[in-house]
Amino acid sequence: MPDNAGYMFAAYIAAAVIFGGYVIALIMRARTMTRRGDAIDTVTRP
Amino acid sequence: MSELQPPGTMAVALMIARKDLAIEYRTRSAFFSSLVFSLLGVSIFYMVWDPTAVRPIDMAPGVLWTIFAFAGMLGLHRAFGLELQTRAMDGLLLAPVPREAIFLGKALSNLVYVSAVLAVTIPAVVLFYNLEFGSGLLILGGIGILAAVGLVTVGTLFSSMTVHTRFAELLLPMLALPFFIPVVVPAAQASAKLLVGAELRTVMPWIQVLVAFDLMFGVACVLAFPFTIED
Amino acid sequence: MPIFDWLLAVAVVALAAVMARAIWFTPPEALQGEAQKIFYLHVPSAVVGLYLACPLVAIGGAMYLWLRDDRLDRLAESSAEVALVFLSIVLVTGPLWGKPIWGTWWTWDARLTSTLFLWFILLGYTVLRGAIEDRQQRARYSAVLGILASLLVPFIHLSVRLFRTMHPQPIVLAPEKPKLSAEMGLTLSLAFIAFTLLFIALLRGRLKYAALRDRVEALEAGDA
Repeated sequence: MPDNAGYMFAAYIAAAVIFGGYVIALIMRARTMTRRGDAIDTVTRP
Repeated sequence: MSELQPPGTMAVALMIARKDLAIEYRTRSAFFSSLVFSLLGVSIFYMVWDPTAVRPIDMAPGVLWTIFAFAGMLGLHRAFGLELQTRAMDGLLLAPVPREAIFLGKALSNLVYVSAVLAVTIPAVVLFYNLEFGSGLLILGGIGILAAVGLVTVGTLFSSMTVHTRFAELLLPMLALPFFIPVVVPAAQASAKLLVGAELRTVMPWIQVLVAFDLMFGVACVLAFPFTIED
Repeated sequence: MPIFDWLLAVAVVALAAVMARAIWFTPPEALQGEAQKIFYLHVPSAVVGLYLACPLVAIGGAMYLWLRDDRLDRLAESSAEVALVFLSIVLVTGPLWGKPIWGTWWTWDARLTSTLFLWFILLGYTVLRGAIEDRQQRARYSAVLGILASLLVPFIHLSVRLFRTMHPQPIVLAPEKPKLSAEMGLTLSLAFIAFTLLFIALLRGRLKYAALRDRVEALEAGDA
């Protein structure tokens, strides 16, 4: 059996990084957007 | 009065195409820049390969169709860019003509333009790459028309969209190039065979792909165009 | 407002469990060795990305042009971004699998090439969306692009297939379908479930983000 576990780990780590990175990026984007929304609320409702 | 009937779709398309070509003929700026671009491309491509390792006749088809796609794209912006200045597009849209006619007219003027570039590029490749004149060259012209139709239909539709966006000149290639694959690959593969003297029947599958692409995207783009100019 | 909730948590746990099961508790395939286990990532993300996420881009776009409902545009937009994530996984894990098994990172076969160009188109799609200010215009343009792209993919597939039949390629060792033992089959099925869950969770989160953004932009526009 060929010894190629390195490729397997590389692939699993890459997949985890891509998914994790996307989730984090989305959370950050949502947070920025929420802040933008809150800023409007404080302006309109003094 | 019956004489005041609005002209039919094809008549309007021809009128729009004639107007565009008249403007282009007076200035000739886009045509000449595309032409110079394609001639430069042809000569640069020759010098980046080792001609003793790869025969020029093997490179020629790839060079020709790659340059054709890029040079064609350079000019596609012109058709709708023209209308954007002084908001001429609004006038065109107000006119009581079918939207499809505007698309056909723009596509037609682009087709003439791209074919004109191709009509100079093919002889330039034949000259610089020392190809033999033969009956293959005639069929090459036929393939050129099929490829130009495919490139122009998709390209015209996309340029009508990207012209309204930021960094339009960068966005058009990004959107259109994937769509040029089923045009450039069959054209290049078919001409590669024809240039080495293969019979027409051996390249029929490629020509069928080109024809199918032209028909399918011809219809799809005409149907899709009205959605890109609603306001 | 949090855009992710319990569903993402469930999906992440499921995915982690499947990965652990694949790496440590599933026997490796005899000929391919451990690298064969990339299969449990590569195939489910390809199936979910190509057959679930991508069609939604075209369907959402077509339905938008018909019904003019902003939610359909958001569906197309969100599916495109999630599809991009899944296809990126496919394109990264593919070469990592191909190198030890085929002996080459990349081969220009019909499936790989179509996937690569689909990825390019999705990238163009997101860039196009970013380049248009007006919401309706953005929705219409991207719907047109999504529909045309769905017509294009068969053509690319066909062109590449034709290219391959006309230029015989060097035969690479291509064990397309490894014989799966019962344990391997179970791991694969679980992986499909985990990836589908993850897709639904990501899509839902992305949809919520899009709705939030549209609300905020509408508020800002009303404010000005």
